Amino acid sequence: MKRFGVICKTEFCLFTRDFFSFFFTLVFPVLMLLLFGGIYGNMPVYEGADIRMMDLTIPAYAVMVMGVTGLMSLPLTIAGYKEKKIYKRFDATPAGKKSIMSAQVCIHFVMTLIGIIILLAAGKLLYQIRIRGTFPAICMGFLLSTASLFSMGFLFTAVGRDLKSTSLLCYLFYFVMLFLSGATMPDMLFPDSIKKFSGFLPMTHAVDLMQGVFAGDSLTRHLNEMLILGALSAVCTAIGVFLYKRQDWT
Amino acid sequence: MSQAIVQAENLSLSYKSIRAVQNVSFTVNPGEILAIIGQNGSGKTTTVECTEGLRKPDGGSVLVFGKDPWLHRSQVYKQMGVQLQETEYPMRIKVAELCRLFASFYERPADWNLLLAQLGLDHKRKCPVRKLSGGERQRLSVLLSLMGRPKLLILDELTTGLDPEVRQNMWSSFENIRKNGVSIIMVSHYLDEAEALADKILYLEKGKQQFFGTQQKFREYVKSRVSPSEWKENCSLEKLYLMIAPKTTGLTMEGIG
Repeated sequence: MKRFGVICKTEFCLFTRDFFSFFFTLVFPVLMLLLFGGIYGNMPVYEGADIRMMDLTIPAYAVMVMGVTGLMSLPLTIAGYKEKKIYKRFDATPAGKKSIMSAQVCIHFVMTLIGIIILLAAGKLLYQIRIRGTFPAICMGFLLSTASLFSMGFLFTAVGRDLKSTSLLCYLFYFVMLFLSGATMPDMLFPDSIKKFSGFLPMTHAVDLMQGVFAGDSLTRHLNEMLILGALSAVCTAIGVFLYKRQDWT
Repeated sequence: MSQAIVQAENLSLSYKSIRAVQNVSFTVNPGEILAIIGQNGSGKTTTVECTEGLRKPDGGSVLVFGKDPWLHRSQVYKQMGVQLQETEYPMRIKVAELCRLFASFYERPADWNLLLAQLGLDHKRKCPVRKLSGGERQRLSVLLSLMGRPKLLILDELTTGLDPEVRQNMWSSFENIRKNGVSIIMVSHYLDEAEALADKILYLEKGKQQFFGTQQKFREYVKSRVSPSEWKENCSLEKLYLMIAPKTTGLTMEGIG
């Protein structure tokens, strides 16, 4: 346990030294909040509605944070370690690569949580957002959404032959989902064709689930999203593990 | 006779259609130094990587401390330290952080602060590893191989990139380490190094074991392979090796003339 603590501490330090990961996980979502809050303000979603724009924007941005860590930072870190054979060096110690990978997943999960907490604090402070959901429902939404995006990122590292091909997969999926899932701009602005396409994106279901549980919906109202995200997590993890077992790490 | 630390029998491994090593057998006893020599691509690194448990042999067996290193890697590494031929570390990690991290892998780690000082890296503690020179990285790599107070050290190209003075210091350090009962397997292209340190030689040619035994026996082996006109008495290990190593053509001016 002490060993795992030291590995996590080291990986935490490395995360904070990586400008991309640090900025886009902890700073960028708050900047987006300020920018779009400045443009659109915190108006009711529709006239007379009790829910305001920022009450929906914050959970969507929370999914953006999960996307940065799960689809960009974590897979690119793992792919870099694989390509440079850093895992091989750790395999030549009693610790092994699994403990390093576990620590990397753990730290990215914690940083996602911190990123979302900062976002919530900013939303509360600047726009007095109202969270109507229960704590267990929000936790469940967070866990399922994070698990699905992390497992997708994990699969990209298993499919990508090197850092370049993994980066291509990550950038492609991340940016397509970022702009077309409702994580950055509300899906009500999309034309019908984009809305249809958006329904196939995992991040769309994460956004829907998070917005729902933040608004106070019961989990049973979002069974569809939960099933999709749960199945995606299981399938991506299983395929990823299968591919990793067949890989030559040397 | 004490039990061998490493026992390899008919070790074989192919990469697709290429047979990287075939039927390689050797033993390493406590306190012994084995030098693995041969040309590039002769299977030296594959042999040590099988011994390190990083590659699974597809034929034969290797036992380290009586255990299969592929199956019991974490247990074997409690007593084994390795320096890989090519090693990269996390990009933004600093020297002291890397040492602390590696120290956490062992129950009774070496005093890495002392090792840093002894290897002349004390002033580099806060330096990112990627900013170290080639020689400094090599010394750091040696330090990390010693972190677990190993009983077996495997050093793949130990002194590549080191200047002559540091090489000499490294030799005497490893001589001292051996005196404390540590066994060493070293892969080296510097045959003066192998001559100065090794008790036994394992000579590979295109993945096949040509010779395994003491330096004296290697001399006899070479003598048996060359014609009397080619043979020279009392020559160095390097010259012995050059007598039997497959010849390569040098660069001619034809291609660029």
